[in-house]
Amino acid sequence: MLSAADLGALWLTLKLATTVTLLLFMLGTPVAWWLARSRSRWRHPVSALVALPLVLPPTVLGFYLLVAFGPHGPIGVLTQSLGIGLLSFTFPGLVIASMLYSMPFVIQPLRNAFEAIGERPLEVAATLRAGPLDRFFSVALPLSRRGFVTAGVLGFAHTVGEFGVVLMIGGNIPQSTRVVSVQIFDHVEALQYGQAHALAGGLMVFSFLVLLAVYGSQPRLRSF
Amino acid sequence: MGDTIRIRLPLRHAGFTLDLDLSLPPRGISALYGPSGSGKTSCLRALAGLDRVANGYIAMGDEVWQDESRQLFVPTHQRAIGYVFQEPSLFAHLSVRGNLDFGHRRAGRPSTVDTQAIVGMLGIGALLDRRADALSGGERQRVAIARALMSRPRLLLLDEPLAALDSARKAEILPYLARLHDTLAVPAIYVSHALEEVAQLADYLVLLGDDQQVHSGPLPPMLARLDLAAAFSDDPGVVIATTVAAHDDTDHLSRLDFSGGQLFVARRPEPVGHALRYRIHARDVSLTRVQPEATSILNVLRADVTGMTLTDTPAYLLVRLQAGDTALLARISRRSWQGLKLAPGVKVWVQIKSAALLG
Amino acid sequence: MSCRLFKFLLLPIILALTTLPASAGSITIAAAADLKFAMDNITATFRKAHPDDSVKVIYGSSGKFYTQIRQGAPFDLFFSADIGYPKKLARAGLTASTPRAYALGRIVLWSAEVDASKLSLEDLVKPSFDRIAVANPQHAPYGERAVEALKSSGVWNQVKGKLVYGENIGQTAQFVRTGNARIGIIALSLALNPAFASRGGYATIPTRLYKPLIQGFVITRHAADNPLAKTFAKFIDSASAQAIFKHYGFARIPAGTAP
Repeated sequence: MLSAADLGALWLTLKLATTVTLLLFMLGTPVAWWLARSRSRWRHPVSALVALPLVLPPTVLGFYLLVAFGPHGPIGVLTQSLGIGLLSFTFPGLVIASMLYSMPFVIQPLRNAFEAIGERPLEVAATLRAGPLDRFFSVALPLSRRGFVTAGVLGFAHTVGEFGVVLMIGGNIPQSTRVVSVQIFDHVEALQYGQAHALAGGLMVFSFLVLLAVYGSQPRLRSF
Repeated sequence: MGDTIRIRLPLRHAGFTLDLDLSLPPRGISALYGPSGSGKTSCLRALAGLDRVANGYIAMGDEVWQDESRQLFVPTHQRAIGYVFQEPSLFAHLSVRGNLDFGHRRAGRPSTVDTQAIVGMLGIGALLDRRADALSGGERQRVAIARALMSRPRLLLLDEPLAALDSARKAEILPYLARLHDTLAVPAIYVSHALEEVAQLADYLVLLGDDQQVHSGPLPPMLARLDLAAAFSDDPGVVIATTVAAHDDTDHLSRLDFSGGQLFVARRPEPVGHALRYRIHARDVSLTRVQPEATSILNVLRADVTGMTLTDTPAYLLVRLQAGDTALLARISRRSWQGLKLAPGVKVWVQIKSAALLG
Repeated sequence: MSCRLFKFLLLPIILALTTLPASAGSITIAAAADLKFAMDNITATFRKAHPDDSVKVIYGSSGKFYTQIRQGAPFDLFFSADIGYPKKLARAGLTASTPRAYALGRIVLWSAEVDASKLSLEDLVKPSFDRIAVANPQHAPYGERAVEALKSSGVWNQVKGKLVYGENIGQTAQFVRTGNARIGIIALSLALNPAFASRGGYATIPTRLYKPLIQGFVITRHAADNPLAKTFAKFIDSASAQAIFKHYGFARIPAGTAP
């Protein structure tokens, strides 16, 4: 039912979403932590910046990335001087674009979770000899694991559903930037409705099952 | 151990100024007593390093925790303290055992900490495998105290640990705290605005008044000071340290000796020589000019009137008395004061209706 | 997402509302992306002669418009980059006129980074051209012709790994314009435009290398009762409209190729 190209697009999409989610966990967690706890005057500008992809159409992000990735753009100049060429139409370029695009969906739940912990458990941990990093890993992380699940699911799902940005900087290259959403779009444009249905339907069932698994595995919020 | 705790904290909040300069004894429980907003918790948080008070100085013996003149500030996790917060603050993601082990492990699981004894003393042996959120408020607070003790603190800080509990829970925990007082070598600072808890637990009292004045000293003489009577006006009275001297099994009485005389109480189970603390409320003390002969009152002492102060209620006065080395307070009516022609220096007989055992 | 939602759901609704017959006439034209500059000029000229009428143009890939019209999008005229799509619509009974050719499209090799005027398709095998932008051949006629030309010139196997695909010919030109692709195959009509012509240079690709790109248009069934649509269709045959097409690099239909 699914062609090799469709399977390739599916696999690429999963690879992209997984990579993006993991990278966003690594980079987004410190940002979310800082946003949740800092009283710096830079907190609000940074919050606004992080939330920007929520309100901007993907085309804005795609357009700026296309210009920035280009040979005369700031990122393009940098990547060329590093000898890695241009990021547009490449998988790493797609990863960076998707990270920007999905950033608020990971950082915001993490930030909420960190804020919900409050100061007290961390103070308690400090009085019990736990240093700052220790406090983060032994108290903040386990207490905010629901936030991590939410952030992971949203970041992953949002990356899978990404279309506009990919279309603008992806170049639709098989195995590299042709993700499922683009593949479905192409099928529709090329009037291959059968294949479009197979892929779109499959994606819908997959997404539903992932969300079902996540909701099913979450214990009810305890009243404590 | 055995090092004086030095605290110099210029506390400044909006509309609030308090210059704390305290030297607390290296053993026993020191109470920080005062109304809400008097700076008690601020002081405790500064001691723990949870807040950094500008120009503060804090030292535990020769170990300096904060000295702003040297830009020195030891972070909380490097201070050997145990802290019990007002509301039970167990880690929700850990079992009781996990909570207890949290600080114990980070202190290096010292062999000098007898975890069994701590668990036994606080009566939490049956709770070890429970989830933290499956405990009652009182149980949680007992676990929190045990958790603090297991991290082998050099100083135990208790921030109104009973305030968030109802009176039944308070009554449940107070005996554990009293036991703590008797068995622990670790000095503790106990923040409270409940005179009953302070009288029961504290050896040393720091009084933070409404007037942003600070008075401190050993608990018994502090409670007997007339100039501080306003701070204790809820329930004036003294605390006396006694020793079990003899038992009378015929009348089922025990005789307790203290420096001002003797006290007879209902038969105590403690052996002769055992120390007991008693609180004598001023309302339970009456005075006579002549020796009462036909009276049901068991405890009658000879004492000198050393002072008098007015109380909130115009009909009553608070009289300070000295019996040997022990000071007592009596609440009598203004009319009695005039009728008995009482004045400082007058010798009186003191009748004690009852004494409340503490701890 | 919201962007697509807008395009596919809201936009047609808004268009349907705004194209309700008023006292004056009103038409909405779906035009292939390569027509961007030519059609802007043509409609401007048309508006001068019909100041009370409303003419709106939407640009995109021909394949997409075909799909949208099949789904009932309220376009009155459809100017495709390839007459094949209007013909398919006609066979499906979704048109109100016979599909007619209006111009011949040409493809060119264009770069914003280097002067491509001296280059031919054979030069694309050079390593310095690491990415070659073409329109998606699956649904963009210009992309289909670009691939044909690459195959006919015998370089297909060497260059196919270097191709990046624009959703339509306009986006393909943007890939090249921003330098993300050093070179690309785009419509002559776009390469002639000052916005693109100011950079680099272009070389026309010999027409023998690809099937003629006969651009055709049709009045959709939606405009069956819209006299302005017929007026506009007639205007396309006029000398002034044909001159504009020519100016923007479209060739006249040679006799015999017209349907």
